[in-house]
Amino acid sequence: MAVQNATQGGRDWSKVLGMGTVMVLLAIFSLPTLIVLLPGMLPTGVAKVCDRTDQRYATFCVGGLNLCGVFPYLLKLWTDDHSINAAANIISDIFSILVMYSAAGFGWMMFMAIPPVVSAFLTVLAQRRVTFLRSLQEDIVTEWGPEVSMIDDADSKPAPVANKRR
Amino acid sequence: MAEEPLETEETGTDLPDGLVPPDEDALESADDSDGLMPPHKEPESSGRGGPVLLRERYLVDSGARLPEFDQPSAKAYAVEDRRDLANKVFALVCTPGVPVRMDDIIAFRTMDFPGVLALIEWEVVPWPPLGQSAMVIVYEKPLGGRVIDRLRRKDVRITEYDVPRRLTEPLIEGLQALNDKIGPHRALRPDNLYYLDADMQEMVLGPHVTAPPGFDQPPDFEPIDRATCQREGRGTGDIRDDVFALGVTIIHIVTGYNPVAKVKPENLIHQRLENGSYTALCGNTRLPLPLIEPLRSMLADDPSVRWNHTEVNNWVTGQKTNPVKKTSSPRAEVPFRFRKREHLTLATLAWHFAQHPSDAVRAVQSDDFVNWIKRYPEGSATLESIRGAVQTAKFHTESYQGSDYFLVSKLSNILDPTAPIRYKDLAFMPDGFGTLLAIHWGLKGDPQEAAQLLAHDIPTLWFTTREKLSRPLLDAQKNIAKLKSLLAINDPGYGLERVVYESNRGFACMSPLIAKSNVVVIEQLLPALELAANSADTSSRPIDRHIAAFIAARFDQDIHPHLKALASPKEDTSIIGMLSLLAFLQWKLRAPSMLALTSWVGGLLGPAINAYHNRHTRDQLEKEIPRLVRKGSLPEIFNMIDDAEKRQEDGEGFRAAQEEWLQAEEEIRDIEGAGEERLTKAERSGQQAAATISIMLGLTVVSILLVMEIM
Repeated sequence: MAVQNATQGGRDWSKVLGMGTVMVLLAIFSLPTLIVLLPGMLPTGVAKVCDRTDQRYATFCVGGLNLCGVFPYLLKLWTDDHSINAAANIISDIFSILVMYSAAGFGWMMFMAIPPVVSAFLTVLAQRRVTFLRSLQEDIVTEWGPEVSMIDDADSKPAPVANKRR
Repeated sequence: MAEEPLETEETGTDLPDGLVPPDEDALESADDSDGLMPPHKEPESSGRGGPVLLRERYLVDSGARLPEFDQPSAKAYAVEDRRDLANKVFALVCTPGVPVRMDDIIAFRTMDFPGVLALIEWEVVPWPPLGQSAMVIVYEKPLGGRVIDRLRRKDVRITEYDVPRRLTEPLIEGLQALNDKIGPHRALRPDNLYYLDADMQEMVLGPHVTAPPGFDQPPDFEPIDRATCQREGRGTGDIRDDVFALGVTIIHIVTGYNPVAKVKPENLIHQRLENGSYTALCGNTRLPLPLIEPLRSMLADDPSVRWNHTEVNNWVTGQKTNPVKKTSSPRAEVPFRFRKREHLTLATLAWHFAQHPSDAVRAVQSDDFVNWIKRYPEGSATLESIRGAVQTAKFHTESYQGSDYFLVSKLSNILDPTAPIRYKDLAFMPDGFGTLLAIHWGLKGDPQEAAQLLAHDIPTLWFTTREKLSRPLLDAQKNIAKLKSLLAINDPGYGLERVVYESNRGFACMSPLIAKSNVVVIEQLLPALELAANSADTSSRPIDRHIAAFIAARFDQDIHPHLKALASPKEDTSIIGMLSLLAFLQWKLRAPSMLALTSWVGGLLGPAINAYHNRHTRDQLEKEIPRLVRKGSLPEIFNMIDDAEKRQEDGEGFRAAQEEWLQAEEEIRDIEGAGEERLTKAERSGQQAAATISIMLGLTVVSILLVMEIM
């Protein structure tokens, strides 16, 4: 019941707790990484807040590319100098921030641009299928006469193809 | 009192197209004749004419009339036997529209009847003077000519002493021979007796098959019950009716004249009903003493006491006879006056009432009538019955049972149970209903009244008032019940058309398509339709209600499935029913190739072909039909059109195609009907794709960077 209430309330406290724990652990054991990650992955957080889809496609889309922008600086931090100072230098560098946010922006653009393209593609496919099925029906009617399209069931009785086309 | 007209399929106000109206003068001569006068004697020459070949043997000259052999309903023509020129024969051409006695005609072909003029051959052939086909019957030519002509010319003399041996014996022999094998003659009268030989030694009965029984007889020669009928409704009767006609014939021949020639027909009927036929027909004539008892016995009005052929034979051979005693029928002491005629008996009153129904209904409710009938012998019981009938009529004022006609029909049965069935203007014996209907429809063009009395069950009224039903009456009752059941069905092959053909074996089919062909027997039907195909409107069907009923009545095979299909409201089934019936006829009758008819039928098969769903099958059938039409074979066309295997395949294929069409339709509906949902779905797919690409890209970049760093 508690789980249900939590879900109904729109906030999953176990996730918040999990995230909090990760943040605390990162702060304790890898504070420079957390310093780079928090501002670097900010667009992903914003995307998560704005994303209304159940599957959080926008979050994944922005997050995936945002990570691409952040990861080179994380890798540099981990391999060169894993210190708070180095992390602060990265964060304060406008170029690095620009790279991180541009990658996230590119992810957002992908999220905006790909669905209409896919939708248009699927519509074309459906129209081609309908055309094929109509042609098949027409062949059947030519071969067997218009009464082949008269179904006894009154509820599902379709009109003859010729009429329907008109 | 209400009277609603019967709704019948055809109103019959006109003759069928193409049927030539009969020679009314010739037909009426039967009633006008006194029995001594032969039919028209003046030589006639037809404007149109020429020889007509019958059965490829007898050459009938339509321009050479032989009036001395005429019958009231058939004209005689000269005939030449092409195979035997010495064979002396003549032909009688029957009147189209008048039923012939087909059973007797067929029986004459296979049996010999001593004492009866021999029927040699018959055929329905195109008859130029009428412009249509007619039944032509070839008879042996009686070389001695007509007996009455010989008597008039005093070539021969028949005295009272010659009557038993020279007149009665040969005639009763002929009547008996006929009766034993096929039935009564019912055309015995002085002008229908012939001498077979030139020496005038052998007297024979003349032709009797050219008209229904009693149709050609003057009323004097009919027993009183049949004499009061219309001549088309006199019925088959039996040999006792022939004995009656023999008695009247003897009177005419012995006296040399008709004793009642000057009496008006209605007065004669009145006298016969009141005083008995013997007294009325002999008039004041003094008959030879030895003939009085035999003649009274032969002319007895009660058929149960009238002499039969055995008694007549006994008299002829000098054996002991049982003469009928002179009895007087009950009569009133004072007459009842109805429409200026005075009545002493209920029989005359019943006869007169039937002629004036409205006046009769008023009369029976008058005090005068009530007082009169109360004093009539056993009149009180009759009065009770009459009151019951009147009361019943008053209960049914809104239906036909409350009509004057219906009530008077009942009154007639009550007043005179021996009288014929009377309704409206009709009077007929139960065994004469068929011919009555046929003549009213075929000649007068109006079957309405005859059909109405059957639908209104008038014969049943008559049967219920009879105290005892003899075997022939029981048969007639059964037959009428059967006809009524046929009338009740309105499908092709039934109805009034079926009634008329079922009750008249010798009545030609009245369908306008083949009326001119005068089709009497089933074997003639297909050739007649073949002929009609050349001139008929081929957009109409070759089987109409008349033809369907004619086939049902004449064809001795079970055709109910064909008729059922023919009656179907679905056009394709009905067409197939028509085709199957015609094909069945052609097959069973072994009819030759029918090119025109097949072409006609082939042109009507559109709906039957379209009953196949598959276009290729239809195309194939349409290509095949012309080939089969050229063969003239209806069975082959039927087999091709109604192939059970092909139909099954077509049906199964159609159902599969229907299923396939439906599946396609459902899929289209799914695609088209989704609308916003489909767009949303597509957008979600796009978002998913974008997320996937992004994740994949991210993982790829991370992996590459890690690998580069490690290396």
